[in-house]
Amino acid sequence: MAGEGGDDLMSPYTPILESLTRQRGVRASLIVSEGDGLVVDSNLRFGQDGDRVAALAASMYRKARLSAAAARLGSVAFLQLDAERGRICAAGGRGDLVLVVVADPSANVGLIRVELLRALESLE
Amino acid sequence: MADDIRRWSDELAREPGSLVFLQLGEALRRQQQLEIALKIALRGLERHPQNVDAHDLVARIAVDRRDFARAFEEWESVLKLEADHVGAMKGLGYLCFQHGRFAEAEWYLGRAAVGGGGPDVTSALEMVRRSSGGFIEPEAVAERPSDDPQWLFADLLVDDGQTALLLDGNGYVLGGLYIDQDGNDLSQEIGAQLTGISEEVRRAAYHLDIGECRSITFETEVAVVGMAPATDQSLIVVAASKLTPLGLLRRLLERCVERSTQWLAKGGTT
Repeated sequence: MAGEGGDDLMSPYTPILESLTRQRGVRASLIVSEGDGLVVDSNLRFGQDGDRVAALAASMYRKARLSAAAARLGSVAFLQLDAERGRICAAGGRGDLVLVVVADPSANVGLIRVELLRALESLE
Repeated sequence: MADDIRRWSDELAREPGSLVFLQLGEALRRQQQLEIALKIALRGLERHPQNVDAHDLVARIAVDRRDFARAFEEWESVLKLEADHVGAMKGLGYLCFQHGRFAEAEWYLGRAAVGGGGPDVTSALEMVRRSSGGFIEPEAVAERPSDDPQWLFADLLVDDGQTALLLDGNGYVLGGLYIDQDGNDLSQEIGAQLTGISEEVRRAAYHLDIGECRSITFETEVAVVGMAPATDQSLIVVAASKLTPLGLLRRLLERCVERSTQWLAKGGTT
């Protein structure tokens, strides 16, 4: 996983994740498989449990996608959860991969959203 | 008509404070000279801001220009000046109907009918009722709309396509309405489907130790949707057209949370 240790392996996703984690207030960025909630690649700051974030974010995104479809709202492109001590943003496209960002409450979510949607394009 | 327009124009030029701008503006509107009509009407309204007919004229020109927000504003101004103005109620009924807000359309047209709106109002009212699939007695529609939980957020939702719902912890609708683009009431269905997201989000927030969830926002192909917890484990859902900026959606969400908190504190009455 990129960013977790000194012997990082470069993956095709590394530049995408690095550009996301470079945003102010971003604690972690991950590429997650929506279907099984497993980490495909991640860039995490110290103290972040990537597996847990991936599983929960994927589950949340999947639920939002299914619920929105059932409610005839179409597919979900971007999702944002705001909580007292943090924010989770997720963006998904046509495939199984979902981009997830965990950020501080003070992070500029507008910028994160733009970066996420841009990164999603390069992912597809 | 051309002679009348010339005569009224001359009269207005001689006496700019004259009320003849009402006839001139209306004649120009009928001739589809909407920009000149609007200019004349606005100039007249500047001189006569308390004149209900001037507001009514601007509203009718605004409808012809498809500036529905302006029309809504002007007819609301008319009703502030003259609460039983039948023309304004007809106009607002028409606008609400056009935007799929059938319950409000029925309320306005019902009031217009009670005020002696005539056969065209009666047939418009029948059409609204056919579209909404419901029927409300004239006495019932004469009540204030905010007394009905369906209208809990009606005055906060001003733009086309905005809709809001208050759900209890089980996903049942407590107040508000969810109308789709075709005017169908999807409140129960949307409530049941979207409540599941909030449960998932609570779980994620708990396990990631990021504290209580304040709001959830998501963008779909057709809409932007905001959800926020309210008192007594209730949930507010606000949806708007995809073109709505997310910042605006969040402000709307905050206002709806505030309104629902007050409403629930009073035991679900206004």
